[in-house]
Amino acid sequence: MKKYTILLLISIISSISLAQNSIEQKHILTTTDRVYGFSTLGILDPYLSPIKYSGNMLNYQEENSWFLSPEKINISMHNSLNLETGFTLNPTSSNYLFYLGANYGWGMSYHFRLQKNLQLLAGGLCNLDFGVKMIGRNVNNPVNIDLATNLNLTGSLLYDFSLLKKTLRLKLSMQTPILGCMFVPREGASYYEIFQLGNFTNTFHVSSLINKRGLNSALTVDVPFNRSVWRFGIKYMDLKYSANDLVFQRDEFGLVIGTTFDVATFAGKKNKAPKNFISSND
Amino acid sequence: MKKYSLILLFAIILLPSCMNEPVVEPNTYRGNFESLWKIIDTRYCYLDYKNINWDSIHAVYRTRVDTVKNEISFFDLMGSMLGELKDGHVNLYSDFNISRYWNWYTDYPANFSSDLIYTSRYLGDNYQIAGGFNYAKINNGNVGYIYYGSFENGFSDANMSYIMNYFSSCRGLIIDVRNNDGGSLSNSSQLASYFFKQETITGYIEHKTGDGHSDFSAPVAIKTPASKNIQWQRPMVVLTNRMSFSATNDFVNRMTQAPNSIIVGDKTGGGGGLPLSSELPNGWMVRFSSSPMYNSAMQNIEWGINPDYSVSLSAIDKANGYDTIIEKAITLTK
Repeated sequence: MKKYTILLLISIISSISLAQNSIEQKHILTTTDRVYGFSTLGILDPYLSPIKYSGNMLNYQEENSWFLSPEKINISMHNSLNLETGFTLNPTSSNYLFYLGANYGWGMSYHFRLQKNLQLLAGGLCNLDFGVKMIGRNVNNPVNIDLATNLNLTGSLLYDFSLLKKTLRLKLSMQTPILGCMFVPREGASYYEIFQLGNFTNTFHVSSLINKRGLNSALTVDVPFNRSVWRFGIKYMDLKYSANDLVFQRDEFGLVIGTTFDVATFAGKKNKAPKNFISSND
Repeated sequence: MKKYSLILLFAIILLPSCMNEPVVEPNTYRGNFESLWKIIDTRYCYLDYKNINWDSIHAVYRTRVDTVKNEISFFDLMGSMLGELKDGHVNLYSDFNISRYWNWYTDYPANFSSDLIYTSRYLGDNYQIAGGFNYAKINNGNVGYIYYGSFENGFSDANMSYIMNYFSSCRGLIIDVRNNDGGSLSNSSQLASYFFKQETITGYIEHKTGDGHSDFSAPVAIKTPASKNIQWQRPMVVLTNRMSFSATNDFVNRMTQAPNSIIVGDKTGGGGGLPLSSELPNGWMVRFSSSPMYNSAMQNIEWGINPDYSVSLSAIDKANGYDTIIEKAITLTK
């Protein structure tokens, strides 16, 4: 009887010890935002047409952010993927321009904790932009591609406030390109000459605040519910860039809706999930 | 301090940009006229080569714009102005009509009869079809004959491999591109590649670098590749007429430099400028020659290419069921 009592006591003490270790050990969570947007779209691509096209666009954005380490909670890293498609018409509706775009970015932000419920995030982001614009009625230049890589300045203001017994988060985010490289062909150079004859003269250009200015911004509010946090907001984008005496422009304004949630990842020998986390891999 | 610097930087970025979009003319008859005239003035590549006084044409047509009564008469007036360029690659596209200049072939004999080439003496009824090529053996099986009606029709190496295999017993080959008004330059290059032993510079192309009538880039070489797996090295003849235009003109230019190749028929229709297009405020599209192309000696091919043997389709021969141009080509394969 004594043996069983001692064994029972030892197992109870061991369990408590393990549980305490699990509680004390810190894990970095990845915050994942998945947001869908619907917006107006305006495109001016003088390589395809001197006329500005207007229409609508759908887009999907996924952004992941995480702190550098459990100890360094003033520095976060993030990556983002943005996919978008739009359909526009010229003012007389005699022609259309179809747009497909993708953007992948990676960056870091420093968190200034101004007050208990107010943060300012400031940092940078490198991204790769790729888009295809196809105009319906054209001769020998029906397509123009957007290809650019940018170093962007990013900034966000996060403000937590209480409303109806919930803690909501208001977020204003902004991003602007400051330096990069972009593909802009000469107005009279056909894609036949550029890609089939291999004449890339004057097609790649350095971009800076002198010839590329843009603002990508969003104002959103995160609303927590029982098992999810939903994000609602508006977004605005205005981008203008110039090369080879051509001025390109793209503007968007619309609504966004999505979710934000935290994910903990466990994998490998040194990053095993605690026993109270149940995996489908088990 | 850092926070305020960031806010200041964003504020600077939000200031009005120094990149000014070009002014778009209003959607009026006058505005569309000015827009069309300016597109040609700054982007059309043959104003100096053709000695066209485009400023003078502006003065003449500007006064006529004020007399226009409706959209159709405005379109006809603009089409007439574009006709001054005498260029088959220049068209104005509206919702109800396309302006064109066709004198590059309508002013000349046709030198081609589709009824004739489909008689039993040539293609007949049982010709073969592959990748846009209609082909058959003619002259008692001694000569291979291919009619290719449009460079918009793509084809594969497999198509050409079968065709050349079919003609393996023939002493010569005829490729007839009469009445072929062009299409894809890629198809022109690919078809020519079957007749070159090695990659050859067969021409040059330039593009506009500014608004001036003679603001062009340095010439860029156009090379005709040599197909690695398919080669025809026996005598071959290319048949042309005035309707051999644009990409066909480009093909004929390449073939003037292919070994064993002879050009027979009429001068080609030309169309040596690679066309691009733009739009007017009213949504009409204008197509225009944008990039001039040259032969390997940097001679302009806009007005066409002369054949090695100038041969016309005789009415008497035609009445007797003979295509004079094909018959001449047959004798040249011996």
